[in-house]
Amino acid sequence: MKRIPTTRLVMKRELTERLQGRLTWIMTALTTLGVVALIVVPALVRQPARPTVVGLMGSSAQALGPALQRSATEAKVRLRIINVASNEAARSGVKDGTLDVALSVGARSAVSQVKATLSPTMRALLQSTLDEAHLQQALREAGVPLSSVLRALTPVPFSTMALQPPPPDRAARSVAALAAGLLLYVSLGIYGAAVANGVAQEKTSRTAEVLLAAVRPRQLMTGKVVGIGLVGLGQLAIAVTGGLIANAAVHRTEIPSTVWLLLPAILLFFVLGFAFYSFAFAATAATVARQEEVQFATLPIGLPIIAGFLLTYAAIASPSAWWIRLLSFLPPLTPILMPARIALGHVSSWEVILAVLIMLASIYGMARLAARIYAGAIVRGGARLSWRAALRLQQE
Amino acid sequence: MTDCDPPVLEISDLVHRFGTRVALDRLNAKVSAGQIVGLVGRNGAGKTTTMRAVMGILRPSGGEVSWDGHVVGPSDWLRFGYMPEERGLYPQMRVLDQLSYFGELHGLDRLTARNVAQAWLGGLGLEGREQDRVVALSHGNQQRVQLAVALVHRPELLVLDEPFSGLDPTAVDALSDTLRMEAQRGTAVLFSSHQLELVEHLCDRVIILEEGRMLASGTLAELRALLPRYLRVQVDGPTGWSANLQGAAVVRGDADGVLLRLEAGTDPQAILRAALAAGPVEQFGFEAGGLADVYRELMSR
Repeated sequence: MKRIPTTRLVMKRELTERLQGRLTWIMTALTTLGVVALIVVPALVRQPARPTVVGLMGSSAQALGPALQRSATEAKVRLRIINVASNEAARSGVKDGTLDVALSVGARSAVSQVKATLSPTMRALLQSTLDEAHLQQALREAGVPLSSVLRALTPVPFSTMALQPPPPDRAARSVAALAAGLLLYVSLGIYGAAVANGVAQEKTSRTAEVLLAAVRPRQLMTGKVVGIGLVGLGQLAIAVTGGLIANAAVHRTEIPSTVWLLLPAILLFFVLGFAFYSFAFAATAATVARQEEVQFATLPIGLPIIAGFLLTYAAIASPSAWWIRLLSFLPPLTPILMPARIALGHVSSWEVILAVLIMLASIYGMARLAARIYAGAIVRGGARLSWRAALRLQQE
Repeated sequence: MTDCDPPVLEISDLVHRFGTRVALDRLNAKVSAGQIVGLVGRNGAGKTTTMRAVMGILRPSGGEVSWDGHVVGPSDWLRFGYMPEERGLYPQMRVLDQLSYFGELHGLDRLTARNVAQAWLGGLGLEGREQDRVVALSHGNQQRVQLAVALVHRPELLVLDEPFSGLDPTAVDALSDTLRMEAQRGTAVLFSSHQLELVEHLCDRVIILEEGRMLASGTLAELRALLPRYLRVQVDGPTGWSANLQGAAVVRGDADGVLLRLEAGTDPQAILRAALAAGPVEQFGFEAGGLADVYRELMSR
């Protein structure tokens, strides 16, 4: 049997340990459930819009029926018109919800009854129908030929041509951007913290010193980062797959057109972001003296991850703003902002390629810096070290 | 060095500084295959720093460590076994998994690592505990696993920092036997201890460190030669005969006679004559000092 290279051995141990732990599976289940809920719950809550039910009370109102229906069709409003026998029937119908509006028309005025408020659309629809009927009746009474006047009253066709129309699936793209931002924010946070805790545990339990008799610090750190990263990637893939299956199950039509680019982008930017952040987490965790210090020590590393997520909202509000585009190339923000921009569809391929190249260069720099800090600090006893102090130790 | 020579660990002019503090000051030492060498010295004398430098855990500020004629590197460290002063094992990992993992890290293939790990656990009395997590073991049993981690890959050099600390007498005997067996197998053993009596019984050679420097080194007999000679004389007669001897001072007098400390060049025969003049001599002989005496003597200088 052939010997497995050291870094792979370390990686395999991390992978096995995480997969044997209950916490990993609980987190995977929770993340997947979260994504599934994000898709299924709105689909369940949102019911198909039912037509507005208008009750016409009395002969004057009922005479307006055909005109009202015609206006509604022109305005693309779904309407169901029923005749109501009495005022009492109208009131009880509005109260119990079988009627949305009850209309009665007198000689000089009309009254609509609603439960709370009348929607502006319905109000405009009713008003214009009443006005038209009123005008026709007045003209008829004055003996003016209706056809000549009506021609004059026909509205001039007016249309708008947008040169940069918003995508028809803009709302769906925003949801996708937010979901991608949230998923990456949670995954980077959870698995970055897992690396930090693992490193600190090896240091504080003094296992690191036993390990370093056989393993070089760089191998130990890299193996841990890759092992935990693979678990994170697997979890993300399960969550995304769960989301797709849930989407198919509820037949939600609103899949944004950017989704097929977004899905691989989430996985790609998770890998890049995790590599960048986990080396920083590992180096910082190697400087602590006690396990309890990890959370506080790694706080500054978590802040840009939170910032990246918050900026997702800004990106949704103004996807082509110059400063959003600029910030999405900043390595600590790229892993969350770039996928969000991809989801929103406001990104060209050269931008993605450039962002990936900048990320790769940053990861290389971060890995080198982290390896030096890690090597200096991991077997050093005593109080917590600063990054600078750890670097000096390595040079000694 | 020819190919036939057994490998030797050589520490040459080793220097290490922690900031301005000098932890090792041009230390020289040697450990040959099959030899057990004890490192002795007070806290902060440089024992742990020396061992860490040998294992490559710490990069010394100067000097070098060589094994088998070349400067030590990663492939050598794989063939060394190490037990640091502060023990360290993954608390949640199962005993057998842990041991075979360390075996694999040291270059064994998976199957061999598992078999050897199993054998060591049996040998150290941990049969049936293979699937237990380390954290569930008693302190003594955790120590055994820690020792097994250092031994699992059959190292050519064993470096053990305070391996006896915290062990009960039975465990001390068991560990001593294990180290002797390893040495017989040809392993070079370097270990540190504050228990001088143990070092005295176990070691072929002793190195005494003080403030990063080697104060003395050699076999117990060689170290004893550094001590002044002590003579015990018991005379059946009036006491006081030893009060004004030339070149010999009374250390203490008791029911077993007097213990004299001889100055260099003093003729024991002259002491014997003085004793015979006082009465019949019932006991006359040199007392061999132990390592503790050597250590105290060197420290007091």
